[in-house]
Amino acid sequence: MTIAELRTRFQDPTPAELQLIARYGELPEDGRRARAFDAFAQSGLPHRRLEQWKWSDFRQSIQSIEASSAQSGPRMAPPANAIVLRFDGRSWDVPDGLPDGFRVFEKDTAQALGNAEQLPMAALTASQTGQPKTCDILQIEVSSSQERPVFLDFAGAGREMAFARIAFVVRPGARVDVIEQHSGGAGLSAMLVEFGLQKGASASRTLLQSGGHQEATAITGLVSLDEDSEFQQTALAFGAKVARIETRVRYSGPNAAAFLNAAYLPADGKHVDFTSHVWHGAESCTTRQLTKGAVPDGGRGVFQGKFHVPRSVGQHTDADMQHQALLLENGAEVFAKPELEIYADDVECAHGNTSGQLDESALFYMRQRGIPVAEARAMLTEAFIAEALETAHPDVLQTLLDASRDFLRGSGE
Amino acid sequence: MLKIENLTARIGEGDEAKSIINGLTLEVPAGEVHAVMGPNGAGKSTLAYVLTGRDGYEVDGGSATLSGEDLLNMDPEERAAKGVFLSFQYPVEIPGVPVMTFVRAAMNAQRKARGEEEISAPDFIKKAREVGEKLKIDAEMLKRPVNVGFSGGEKKRLEIFQMMMLEPRFAILDETDSGLDIDALKTVSDGVNALRSPGRGMLVITHYQRLLDHIRPDKVHVFAKGRVVKSGGPELAEQLEREGYDGILGEPV
Repeated sequence: MTIAELRTRFQDPTPAELQLIARYGELPEDGRRARAFDAFAQSGLPHRRLEQWKWSDFRQSIQSIEASSAQSGPRMAPPANAIVLRFDGRSWDVPDGLPDGFRVFEKDTAQALGNAEQLPMAALTASQTGQPKTCDILQIEVSSSQERPVFLDFAGAGREMAFARIAFVVRPGARVDVIEQHSGGAGLSAMLVEFGLQKGASASRTLLQSGGHQEATAITGLVSLDEDSEFQQTALAFGAKVARIETRVRYSGPNAAAFLNAAYLPADGKHVDFTSHVWHGAESCTTRQLTKGAVPDGGRGVFQGKFHVPRSVGQHTDADMQHQALLLENGAEVFAKPELEIYADDVECAHGNTSGQLDESALFYMRQRGIPVAEARAMLTEAFIAEALETAHPDVLQTLLDASRDFLRGSGE
Repeated sequence: MLKIENLTARIGEGDEAKSIINGLTLEVPAGEVHAVMGPNGAGKSTLAYVLTGRDGYEVDGGSATLSGEDLLNMDPEERAAKGVFLSFQYPVEIPGVPVMTFVRAAMNAQRKARGEEEISAPDFIKKAREVGEKLKIDAEMLKRPVNVGFSGGEKKRLEIFQMMMLEPRFAILDETDSGLDIDALKTVSDGVNALRSPGRGMLVITHYQRLLDHIRPDKVHVFAKGRVVKSGGPELAEQLEREGYDGILGEPV
């Protein structure tokens, strides 16, 4: 298919979409790639007229895709014993000497993506990855529990665009801890991280995102949980011009559990969107979700959470969703849409959603003890955010706490 | 020490404003402990908040000075650094901030404001352990977030812990006896009495004689309608206990 033909699939394509079409046109033809690109073409770069994207308009934010400059923002040091996998904006770098029970497969053809129509940015990633001589898709099989954490270092390295896929298959009873650093560096980046946890498997995912004022970034996590498996995610995001961290969890076997914790700290001119969708497709599964944000003047936070509990298979679901935002200054913006869609009758589901300011009586109490008001505000806000980060991997927890402290004390940029 | 002259203060603004303190004059010399008693709504807690600078409490006239320094124009944290301490009637929860972290931050902020050296970590821990033992506060409690999940009695004990750690020049105790059982009242009172010194003044706000059996005041002031209507020695508290406010004030209040 020619570029001209592809263009007709988009309604009034923007310069950025034309760039994406051109890049796609250079990649080897492949049926899976074409299906993913078709799914992306249905919406193009997601925009405000799509209900799921009404607060995070990628099309508007990036008219044309330009090379970004160097990385900014806080970074984690990989733990000393970590298995470090680096993506340089084009290709994964896989180290030698991988431990037993940890196998890495490099894929040089496009890989299929289920539900692509509902995930335009993940569909984009699926359509733009998988090519010979460039390793942008990794599949990892974890067949025994790993002592060493896996450190994924996503960097754009000053490119226009960066697309990467990585998928973990965790075999029955095995465990893996994954730490992800997304530090921007590309005008548009779209990363897709998948976890398939088999019976009794467990995984933790700790994520730190930061990006530049001119960058757009989408990080999609797709998690499938079989019987008795457990997934724990902790994310800290500083945003970009527009940044979306989307997580989809699907229970396929009973008695599985997911813990989704997140904190967002968007500076002036930055945007962070945490969107999640949890499908309780099996009985007696447990979800705990806590998202916190603290937003100064000019920053924008978005929380969209949905628990879907189907009638027949969702019985004995136990799910709780909490979102709490602090508006630190006038001019801060927070948009929240918590949704529970419950069709089963024997379930426990709860949600809470608050946004407001620091407790004045707590501030006075602290000042009465001699703590200056700026310090008191910072202490209260740090403690507020820290609660959502407690579940981070212990080797990087302090780095995340320090990064949020630096931000709240005004030296985060 | 503390000198309040013809103080007038209100809560709220505009049409919502309500005058609570109406021409109050009171002096607590260094080394003395004075008690303030009075019926509900007399302005006792308002006085505590006006002296410590809480938002929403507006001074319309008069003055309040500590050792000659005007308190009313200072921020709350400046007053604290000058040595003003309030033991809150309702201590506030500070989620996520452990007691030890909080008290150390407070102590060092005060020291910094006064141009003094910060306390070293070992010295701080040693002092906290000593004060904790006196107040029968276990070390575990000091690791928990400030007042979160504390019982009423534990909160009051923690107020006195902070006072003994910070060693203020002037302490205001607002109904520190409420929520305390008899044993705890004794422990807390022993802590307060240990802080009595020639250079330090205290204002003890209470409804009941009970606390004053343990913390013997030099003077007792009876409050009504935002003013001192009667002052006397400790025997005045006993008379109040027998006759009630109506008996002392000579009219229903």
